[in-house]
Amino acid sequence: MSDRNSHQPQLSFAGILRRSLTHRRARSFSALVALTVSAAVATALLTLYADLNAKLHKEFRSFGANVVITAPTSSALPPHTLAQIQQAAGPDALIAPFAYAVATTDRGTPVVVAGTDFPAVQRLDSWWQLPHWPTAADAALLGDRAADFIADEHAVKLTYADKSIALTGAGRLKTGGDEDSRIYIPLAAFTRWTGIGPTVVELQIPGGAVAVQAALTRLRAQFPTLQIQPVRQLVEGESRIVDRTHALMYGAVLLIALTVAVSVLATLSASVLERRRDFALMKALGGSQSQLMAMFLLEALVLALAGVVFGYIAGSAAAWAISQINFHTATLPRLSVLPLVLLLNIFIAAFAAFFPVRVLRGLQPAALLKGE
Amino acid sequence: MFFRLLWESFRRQRRRKALAGLAILLGTTAVTAMLALATTIGDRIHKELAVYGANIVVTPKADQLDVKIGGVDIKPSTGGSYLKASDLPKLKAIFWANNITGVSPELPVSLHLANGQQIQATGLWFHHNLANGGSSMITGAPAMHPWWKLTGAWPTAPDEAAAGSASGLHIGDTVKANGSALRITGLVSTGDAMDKQLLLPLESAQKLANLPDAVSRVDVSARTKPEDAFARKDPDTLSPQQHEIWYCRPYANSIAYQIREAIPGAQAQQVRRVEQNEGNVLERISGLMWLISAAALLAAGFAVSAAMATAILERRAEIGLMRSLGASKGAIALLFYSETGLLAVFTGAIGYLFGSGLAAWLGARIFAGDGAASGSPVLNPVLLPIIVALAFIVAIAGSTPSIRTSLEMDPSTILRADA
Repeated sequence: MSDRNSHQPQLSFAGILRRSLTHRRARSFSALVALTVSAAVATALLTLYADLNAKLHKEFRSFGANVVITAPTSSALPPHTLAQIQQAAGPDALIAPFAYAVATTDRGTPVVVAGTDFPAVQRLDSWWQLPHWPTAADAALLGDRAADFIADEHAVKLTYADKSIALTGAGRLKTGGDEDSRIYIPLAAFTRWTGIGPTVVELQIPGGAVAVQAALTRLRAQFPTLQIQPVRQLVEGESRIVDRTHALMYGAVLLIALTVAVSVLATLSASVLERRRDFALMKALGGSQSQLMAMFLLEALVLALAGVVFGYIAGSAAAWAISQINFHTATLPRLSVLPLVLLLNIFIAAFAAFFPVRVLRGLQPAALLKGE
Repeated sequence: MFFRLLWESFRRQRRRKALAGLAILLGTTAVTAMLALATTIGDRIHKELAVYGANIVVTPKADQLDVKIGGVDIKPSTGGSYLKASDLPKLKAIFWANNITGVSPELPVSLHLANGQQIQATGLWFHHNLANGGSSMITGAPAMHPWWKLTGAWPTAPDEAAAGSASGLHIGDTVKANGSALRITGLVSTGDAMDKQLLLPLESAQKLANLPDAVSRVDVSARTKPEDAFARKDPDTLSPQQHEIWYCRPYANSIAYQIREAIPGAQAQQVRRVEQNEGNVLERISGLMWLISAAALLAAGFAVSAAMATAILERRAEIGLMRSLGASKGAIALLFYSETGLLAVFTGAIGYLFGSGLAAWLGARIFAGDGAASGSPVLNPVLLPIIVALAFIVAIAGSTPSIRTSLEMDPSTILRADA
């Protein structure tokens, strides 16, 4: 407070505040930076954390079907079952029908031929390695091993129960699983040729063990005659990994929040302590303890609010960038984290202001002003 | 004189040093813990992902075509070709042998029961000691299929067997198959077609089916590097140098290639459903950890440099006094930098210890029951110099602007002002 204040008749609270913030810019700035960092970190981590489960479950969808529905032996699924299953499993579930028959190749080798819906399988089994997904109505996708037992891979001739069919080879399929020993053709062509309808439906239900269990219960109630089995390793594995990643993230959030909070606290309280002369002067001029406390507190709160504004923007941007880089999908800013961030920052600021003021309370203004 | 100043500064300004030190300590603790977790997360998640089963499958090359629907063999192969069980220890001698974490051979056989019925059975390893030279590991089907649920015990003797939960057998039953009595020691629920089968020790299955040393399929679980464009190259088309690089990277494809080399007549392939997606999930989770570590580093860096800047700003009066007493700018800067540096190195080292401990504790708590923590040491020596250097650089960088402006100010102004 310098002599420049002399032309002002009265020192208003706001005036002191404004001067205190602008007079020593370097100090205010470093406090603001500290509070912005704390708000940004809190925003980024909370935004990511809130979105984590959805993001992870989405990754696990690529493992393919986690429920397999099989018709009872020697009977096909009743018509319209597919639509009913989709309805019971929810609109997010991926679903692909399969029909199987054992046919003979042009070399006389028995081979499993499967009829399916290629666009559905493409969504469900993204790991299949093949030149391109077939679209033709008479396309035959040859498993890598099955192809070795076929003489002509371009014009594939198969025989089932003395009925033969000519198909156009659509390339080799490689999975490292049972699919390698099979031939996949479109379901319509398959049914026309063999007269067999789909007997197996593979289902991908998103959302982990709880969601799968709920869907299983619904499906079993609706289709008591069908055999409905979860793919156990997928369902269990997904939940374990999501839970653990979640816990890891939780630990990281707490750890980082604590670190930043304490560092900010250290910075802020140092900058308040630095001003014990101001404190002593105000006290000597007649300021009451509570007035001074309110003064320091208000200053800290203004900084904290400014920090939240900048920090929320920076933190949301950071969360967006992290999930864009890592998950290739955006995480949009969440307003719901704002109250928590605000609360955290105000708490840090208030604590940082209170702590030194309590230390200063016992000091004698005279001794301080003398420079001790 | 210099050292005395340094010493006195630490001795007399304990509060200031403690605050700045605390900021560095916490910053380094958090960064160490995050980095330590991020470096081990790959291994930990790989262990978790092991629940998906094998990522490489080895089959005999000149096999007949499988005629399998829903895991049930419709036309069980007669004759056919087999791998040799005695070749399997060679898996522990390939270049990436240490990355192989599980091996499970299978031999499906069809047995005649005393009442004339047939039952499908599979010969497996349960707790087999796979040893080659110095290295050995205990492995088998239960370890490779963590989702199998067992009541009772796995067979340990050649005349014992486990039964699938849907086979209609009970613990303690004796089954007479192909003329030998087998005692059921446990019931297994696998959730697939094996629920209706008998699970025998591999040697017993070989003896009962009269197929000595035969194995029809081997599941291998290996720790791999996620596939990239280079991994998809055909090794035989690469130049010798490129081939060498390809060979020496733990891609599923290179490990499969090495298995084909080691075991005569074998065809090894990655199980794409497991391998492709595991790599993806692993990449996402460890990527997330690394990005968060980077965010932690950035935040801790900001916080520490802000704390250091404040700590120096506070001491302008000291700087003014020293200058007015005739100290050169260089000498003062040296003193302040030494103080900062000492503080950073010291608290950085302590933060490293705390952080490592914290990471180990967190890791053990979150990944409890995997035995993952026991495999890796608590202290990662590589991190120590990194953490200390980071603390040093951040602290020095954080205090530089404040030292600079303080030195440039006129000492008399500083001393007169209520610093």
